[in-house]
Amino acid sequence: MTPVVQLDGVGHRFGSAANGVAAVSDLDLAVRRGTFTTLLGPSGCGKTTTLRMIAGFIRPTSGRILLEGTDATDTPPERRNIGMVFQSYALFPHMTLTDNVGFGLRARRRPAAEVRKRAGEALELVGLSHAADRKPGELSGGQQQRVALARAVAIEPSVLLLDEPLSNLDARLRVQMRQELLRVQRETGLTAILVTHDQDEALQLSDTMVILNGGRLEQQGDPRTVFPAPANRFVAQFLGYDNFPEVPGFGPVTIRPEHVRLTAAVTGEEAATDSVELAGTVADVTYQGSHCLIGVDTAGGRLNCVHPGDDFRPGEAVRILLPRHRLVELADAHTPAGAR
Amino acid sequence: MILRRPLLSLLSAIAFVIMLGPVVILLGVAFTAGSTLTFPPEGLSLRWFAAALEYRPFIDSLGTSLVVAVLSTAAALALGIPATLALQRGAVPGKAFIENLFMTPIIVPELVLGLALFQQLMVGFNITALGTLVIGHTVLLLPYTVRVVGASLALADPRLEEAARGLGAGPVRTFFSVTVPVMRPGIISATILAFITSLNNVPLSLLLTGPGVATLPVEMLNYVQSSFDPVVAAVSVVLLALSVAVALLTERLVGFNKVFGR
Repeated sequence: MTPVVQLDGVGHRFGSAANGVAAVSDLDLAVRRGTFTTLLGPSGCGKTTTLRMIAGFIRPTSGRILLEGTDATDTPPERRNIGMVFQSYALFPHMTLTDNVGFGLRARRRPAAEVRKRAGEALELVGLSHAADRKPGELSGGQQQRVALARAVAIEPSVLLLDEPLSNLDARLRVQMRQELLRVQRETGLTAILVTHDQDEALQLSDTMVILNGGRLEQQGDPRTVFPAPANRFVAQFLGYDNFPEVPGFGPVTIRPEHVRLTAAVTGEEAATDSVELAGTVADVTYQGSHCLIGVDTAGGRLNCVHPGDDFRPGEAVRILLPRHRLVELADAHTPAGAR
Repeated sequence: MILRRPLLSLLSAIAFVIMLGPVVILLGVAFTAGSTLTFPPEGLSLRWFAAALEYRPFIDSLGTSLVVAVLSTAAALALGIPATLALQRGAVPGKAFIENLFMTPIIVPELVLGLALFQQLMVGFNITALGTLVIGHTVLLLPYTVRVVGASLALADPRLEEAARGLGAGPVRTFFSVTVPVMRPGIISATILAFITSLNNVPLSLLLTGPGVATLPVEMLNYVQSSFDPVVAAVSVVLLALSVAVALLTERLVGFNKVFGR
């Protein structure tokens, strides 16, 4: 099946070819029909630039963009049939919700009756039929977000592009809108590409998550494949693998804080064969109610650990058990971009 | 309110008296039945308005003033809107410098500007007094149109145009269905500001008037130099009424709050 969106070695440099800055370098990507893809990474990783290139707002300085199998690298945005939801929503302040949502259909010169009907349906999809005659300024942020989504969906785009659409909402609403976003995408069967810096958002929404760093692809795949097996130190760190210990007999490895087990040094418990054992000293304890965050100094560096009890104090000697099946071997030992 | 902030209330009251007091006195003088500029007026009459109507130079110069105000406002909008669009939405190198360049007519003393225009246009190119007045006022009004229209653009989300393009509207449709409505309050307030500024201008007009061509404020100045009767007060009231009428019209059309910030 032809991918809805395909990037072939796409790159974008800001400034001149000689001394410009590469925002995106040599990116390959194929987005299958009906799937939800997220572009994930820290700010400046090139995710928004990539999305804006797919939308046609900026032109790649190298490579090709194919939409529905045809080369669209030089196609202006209005002829790409994309539905874009902006971080700032960008609703037209002088139009009612119906007119906002119907804008794309009017631009396509559809008959007025059809425009009204489909705008109404799109507003109903996001639960805002009752506000159809209001202006965007009279709505809350969450409602504006829904209108922006309805407006993008109403044109039945070949791909729905979402640029950090939830980042301006408060935490509770954001979680609620994630569900809403997923429901709309599933109900409409649209192909969606979402840009985010929030790993939880990416894990919850994605069929495919694409992790970018410094304009380059670090890893991509289904969240259930990527999350337990980050390919390199950057991805591991970004996904919350806080520990990069030196473990005798291993190359570069990482382990999540919640998988590190601590026991008192004095217990005569046998070293389990399914775990690697290290010795260390408790450096700090942060009480969190249901658990404690404990930092332990070892010969191979500091280890952070989520411990289910409150039975350790700074200065105590501890045994550290790293379950072998939780240790993730990293393909490279490269330093993450931030520390370079 | 008054009880809670007595000092602020007092200062506001003083400010109002200082600003509006002279205007009230002028209004009184204009309707006097007597023949001197005294307050309180000696009886009420419209005789000085009638006298003003009979004084030919006032009627002619009012016509000139209106023609100059309309033409120069239109020209300043025609030049200022594209300029501010380019500055706000385009990728113009040296943006800050060009923006400041558009502000210079406010900084350069108007008499200096007037003298320069007089010398270059009237003497150098032999352009008529009316033509020079329109050109001079256009230069004077340009900062207002560029800034005020620019402000409404700067306040609007720059992604609006992208949103329209993404939804399938070409550049022309995007301009007329999104950019123009966004600029609308700015254009209206710029028009009013420019019109009133031109109508009331003295320093620039003073140097650009030719034989038989003068704006109303300049003619008033001339009149006051030779005679000192309530006619000039009556004309002032007319000029004031014109400005207030424009302002009220704005209030009716769009509302002041929308025009002068939020």
